[in-house]
Amino acid sequence: MDPLYIIANYGPRFLDGTLMTLQLTGLGALMAGLFAPFLALARTCAPPAAQWPLRLYISFIRGTPLLVQLFLVYYGSGQFRPLLQDWGLWNFFRDPFNCALFTFVINSTAYQTEILRGGLMGVDNREVEAARAVGMSRWRILQRVSFPHAYRIAWPALGNEVILLMKASALASVVTVFDLMGRTRQVFSRTFDFSSYLWAALIYLGITVVFVYLWRQAELRMTRHLQTGSNTTQGEQRNG
Amino acid sequence: MADNDIVLKAEGICKSFGAMEVLKGVDITARKQDVISILGASGSGKSTLLRCLNFLEPPTSGKVFLHGEEISVGKGGKLNQKQIERLRSHLGMVFQQFNLWSHRTVLENVMEGPVIVKGESKSVVRKRAEHLLDRVGLAERKSMYPSQLSGGQQQRVAIARALAMEPDAILFDEPTSALDPELVAEVLKTMKSLAEEGRTMIVVTHEMAFARDVSTHVIFMHEGRILEEGTPQEMFGNPRTEPWRRFIADVS
Amino acid sequence: MQELFAYGETGWGDELLAGLAVTLQLGVAALLLGLLIGFAVAWASLSRQALLRSAGFAYSTIMRGLPELLTLFVVYNGVGLLLNQFSAFLSPDSTPVEFSPFAAGVVALGMVFGAFSSEVLRGAFNSLDPGQSEAGRAVGMSTRQVFLRIKLPQAWRFALPGLGNLWINLLKDTALVSIIALEDLMRMTKIAVGATKQPFTFYLAAALIYWGLCVLSEIGLNKLEKRANRGIVNR
Repeated sequence: MDPLYIIANYGPRFLDGTLMTLQLTGLGALMAGLFAPFLALARTCAPPAAQWPLRLYISFIRGTPLLVQLFLVYYGSGQFRPLLQDWGLWNFFRDPFNCALFTFVINSTAYQTEILRGGLMGVDNREVEAARAVGMSRWRILQRVSFPHAYRIAWPALGNEVILLMKASALASVVTVFDLMGRTRQVFSRTFDFSSYLWAALIYLGITVVFVYLWRQAELRMTRHLQTGSNTTQGEQRNG
Repeated sequence: MADNDIVLKAEGICKSFGAMEVLKGVDITARKQDVISILGASGSGKSTLLRCLNFLEPPTSGKVFLHGEEISVGKGGKLNQKQIERLRSHLGMVFQQFNLWSHRTVLENVMEGPVIVKGESKSVVRKRAEHLLDRVGLAERKSMYPSQLSGGQQQRVAIARALAMEPDAILFDEPTSALDPELVAEVLKTMKSLAEEGRTMIVVTHEMAFARDVSTHVIFMHEGRILEEGTPQEMFGNPRTEPWRRFIADVS
Repeated sequence: MQELFAYGETGWGDELLAGLAVTLQLGVAALLLGLLIGFAVAWASLSRQALLRSAGFAYSTIMRGLPELLTLFVVYNGVGLLLNQFSAFLSPDSTPVEFSPFAAGVVALGMVFGAFSSEVLRGAFNSLDPGQSEAGRAVGMSTRQVFLRIKLPQAWRFALPGLGNLWINLLKDTALVSIIALEDLMRMTKIAVGATKQPFTFYLAAALIYWGLCVLSEIGLNKLEKRANRGIVNR
């Protein structure tokens, strides 16, 4: 076991893998973040009859292993090859990176939707009424009152979800994507040096630590109005 | 200890929390059928004294005797855990916040101690527990959980729980302080009936009427010491010290 | 379609079922080991000794921050290496020992479950009302009796929802062990896919089985919670 030898000889590979992991996680979380607010809104306001497909989707995602979801997309798409070729989608599904990203987006969207739904339900009704009273349109209220509040409430849980996604992204290595996990397995299979795993662990933990710090800074920035000014603080706390 | 009427005796009890000296050498003797009321302002050390008697707070120094047997108080901090557990099984305790076990029914709360600690048979204990619950007027509530009862009812169950151990003396730690005013009377009534049947009781309380009319002995604690003690007649008829006089005036 | 999942020579029903049995065994074994680790780590992080506390804190923080897959490889390869070095040390010409994938899976998933459950348990023991134990001590219960008859059942009530979630995560994480060639549900599905060339059909079937397990678990957990919460009536 020689950690220094490993990092000296395979450092660039680890760096490469780290960037891939960041890319998968970042893009996955971001794209899921685009869909989630609309689905969360549907989950809170849509009539029950319209909700069951959405609930089924969320339950399915939460009730099955991510690995199965990934295989369903990556290998499963092969079963529909002629069809996908007709639609011009085959090139997309042939690429493991695309499949991994696609799966992560589908997966994270479900979790983020549930988290945001919780945030929306936590918004104080009186503030919405106040906005209605000054004559804001429904769309405007969502944009100016409901969602800003919901995101503030959901922020810590969303951060957790991003970390979970980052950890889960290691699965991409199973379908031959060379993310950090993939690179680590590659290095280990060449050197049989156990310290390659320790480097990977260190990098994963490092990413988490940095991310937690940045996320917390963003949260402080977002909730500045709750920390200063004694009167508003008390009011907010009682409402929340 | 020639006097075999003495149930519980404590000598020179001191207790410090860090640099804070809460008890500065307290002596207390409870004979059979004594009902001792301990009064005092908050912070006078009265609750700590009570908790030192059954080692829920181990005294820093001093001696505690149960029926003449000395319970070793830590010199070097070493306590005899088995001895303390036996002491506790002979002393019932009723708490300010009732502390009924929330995951057990009323009947189970009363049966727990005798069955688990004393190893008595369940059928015997069940009969006794049902009888005791009947005594405190809660026989129909035996299958309920504590959270389904009012504060006064919970405290009466707690008293039944203490009695179920067939203790030599019962310690009451401000048993009515957490109760709504309209629920205080039912608990005091139960306590009074215990006193009348000759139970040995040590009661930390704010209820002046109970101290004056029910107890046989009154202790006034002030700044970690017993400042004045005597029969209710002496204490209320002829208060000798200024703090005690002020205390009576303030409370009544 | 029916033929594909038939029982016996022609279909894959019995193979999938055998895989499911392995998955469940793995899940239950990891759960038991994980609870054991969880209790130990929670106990350490609630200890009065600073060293034990930081050790417990470090374990749960690090383990929770690592991808489960990485932990699995570390255990599978690392413990395998260690075992071999050890046996080579004992008798130089012994054949290399195999650390079975099942054992590796149980240890790795148990370690992960232990890290997460220690947090749940720590929170549960922290939220106990000290008066409840005090009442136990006051009737003369020993420390052990107080723990078993009062603290444990009450902490269980607080910990159950969190532990339930972790169990469902654990059930899903068992699929990872197929990567190190344990013949669980996922692995058997892969074999079926290889033979039939029907990946979507079979992975969907596997997904539905996992989904069913999770839904069943949730129903069971709800029942358990109801039971544990009797006596907590909010008036």
